[in-house]
Amino acid sequence: MEAFTTRASAQPLRNADELIDSVETFIFDCDGVIWKGDKLIDGVPETLDMLRSKGKRLVFVTNNSTKSRKQYGKKFETLGLNVSEEEIFASSFAAAAYLKSIDFPKDKKVYVIGEDGILKELELAGYQYLGGPEDGAKKIELKPGYLMEHDKDVGAVVVGFDRYFNYYKIQYGTLCIRENPGCLFIATNRDAVTHLTDAQEWAGGGSMVGAIGGSTQREPLVVGKPSTFMMDYLAKKFGIEKSQICMVGDRLDTDILFGQNGGCKTLLVLSGVTSLAMLQNPNNTTQPDFYTNQISDFLSLKAAPV
Amino acid sequence: MPSRLSPHNFQDLFDSVEAFLFDCDGVIWKGDKLIDGVSQTLDMLRSAGKKLVFVTNNSLKSRKQYAKKFQSLGISVSEEEIFSSSFSAAMYLKTNDFPSEKKIYVIGGEGILEELQLAGFTGLGGPEDGNKTVQLSQNRFFDHDKSVGAVVVGIDPYINYYKLQYGTLCIRENPGCLFIATNRDAIGHMTALQEWPGAGCMVAAICGSTQKEPIVVGKPSTFMMDFLLQKFNISPSKMCMVGDRLDTDILFGQNAGCKTLLVLSGVTSEPELKDPSNNIQPDYYTGQLSDMLKFLESLN
Repeated sequence: MEAFTTRASAQPLRNADELIDSVETFIFDCDGVIWKGDKLIDGVPETLDMLRSKGKRLVFVTNNSTKSRKQYGKKFETLGLNVSEEEIFASSFAAAAYLKSIDFPKDKKVYVIGEDGILKELELAGYQYLGGPEDGAKKIELKPGYLMEHDKDVGAVVVGFDRYFNYYKIQYGTLCIRENPGCLFIATNRDAVTHLTDAQEWAGGGSMVGAIGGSTQREPLVVGKPSTFMMDYLAKKFGIEKSQICMVGDRLDTDILFGQNGGCKTLLVLSGVTSLAMLQNPNNTTQPDFYTNQISDFLSLKAAPV
Repeated sequence: MPSRLSPHNFQDLFDSVEAFLFDCDGVIWKGDKLIDGVSQTLDMLRSAGKKLVFVTNNSLKSRKQYAKKFQSLGISVSEEEIFSSSFSAAMYLKTNDFPSEKKIYVIGGEGILEELQLAGFTGLGGPEDGNKTVQLSQNRFFDHDKSVGAVVVGIDPYINYYKLQYGTLCIRENPGCLFIATNRDAIGHMTALQEWPGAGCMVAAICGSTQKEPIVVGKPSTFMMDFLLQKFNISPSKMCMVGDRLDTDILFGQNAGCKTLLVLSGVTSEPELKDPSNNIQPDYYTGQLSDMLKFLESLN
């Protein structure tokens, strides 16, 4: 599906206005672009306001599945940003949207290895779910004669970042995938590490998804970045041409690849996990169109006088 | 194409093999129950002067603990004849001169910690980290020991986010930190009534968060075999690997140039063996280990 193209090296963003004028929609990643942990990155509110005043559509796409769109809406609000729920696309929402898009039967259940955000989105979409954080308290007695039962009506297992991960959930999910005919294995995302706190990296969804891949020997269907599911969904929903979109993110292997896979322009910001050294490392094969320090550069970078 | 073991071809196998290597789960026992006829078959092989070696990917117990399990099932086996992947992990570190002042973080069972200690190493983690939780307030920093030089991952029924995070930080941030897997079996044997997630699950979890591939010390990697061959000084062609799994036991035997015998008393069924999608063909296959005794008796 990915064509092998040799891309030119990323260009430092010099003329912000030119980029802004060339697209109609900006898609922003959140961690490392808008905020870091629970702190807003400086200049963000003014930048978003400026883009809106120029008539640009703003969309926020995050692989973080711990919150629902509604809960993210609240986070934006607490940080003083004017963003509506409809503009937010978290991978928790993507999982529910995916099931809807394939007409996942309402009489089938979904087993969740993940957090509250996924449960909320499934509920909103009208699906019955099992599992989630409370299964984190379930213990197993591995004694002779013990047999773990599982619900035969589970038609999909959704796996995402899960701080309550344990052997019970792994076995439950594995039994569903291995034994319920046609059971889907859906991953919200496969990020290796995530920035739960701005001080350090934390093992990410890629870990839980890897675990279930290891026990079932099956590959999941990924709904989050860099899979284009969310991009296709957005484009269809808002009626946007992908060439009219600029994807702005801090990660090469999720955000930038997502934008490239979708045929959009891509801008890497250095306010998150990726440094200039990492971008310019000869081992790096993902080259965004542009890079800049942070999104507030949109306000400060002007065309050089001729 | 594999030949079904019969009194006729068994004689050839029996005469040409000096050492029999046995997998345990699904070959010798199922959960905590001995598979029938095993005890008498092993006695017969010993009295015929055959060397017996037990090679298991299950890292929950140490060799000593496995010897106790054999004993409780009425079979006399010495520690020296047992090669568990817990032992392999410790031997790998020893043979590669892992510095004794460095520590090893263990995502796995007591067996690994015990073998590391016996080999003179300092292990951290293991089952007790199964009780640790992660605090996620903004000012809490997750600390890890900078002197950890290796993370060993095996089957772990007490897996949790704390351990995943600890192991991930060691591998990502401690320079030169090794990532060792006891094995990558998708399925583990925790109870006799159903299959359970194996070490392959925990190992894949750490691969997912570190984007690194592990050094595998258990079957089908040849590390254990190279170690065995050196210790017993028998040519691989004079060895027969007996196991119930194609992608670990049989492949292990084939990789080393041994003869291979698949038993159908464990995870692999005859249809699975004969399925066109299967490309691992043992030399022989039979229902269970005690068939050897039956065939020998019918020949005499």
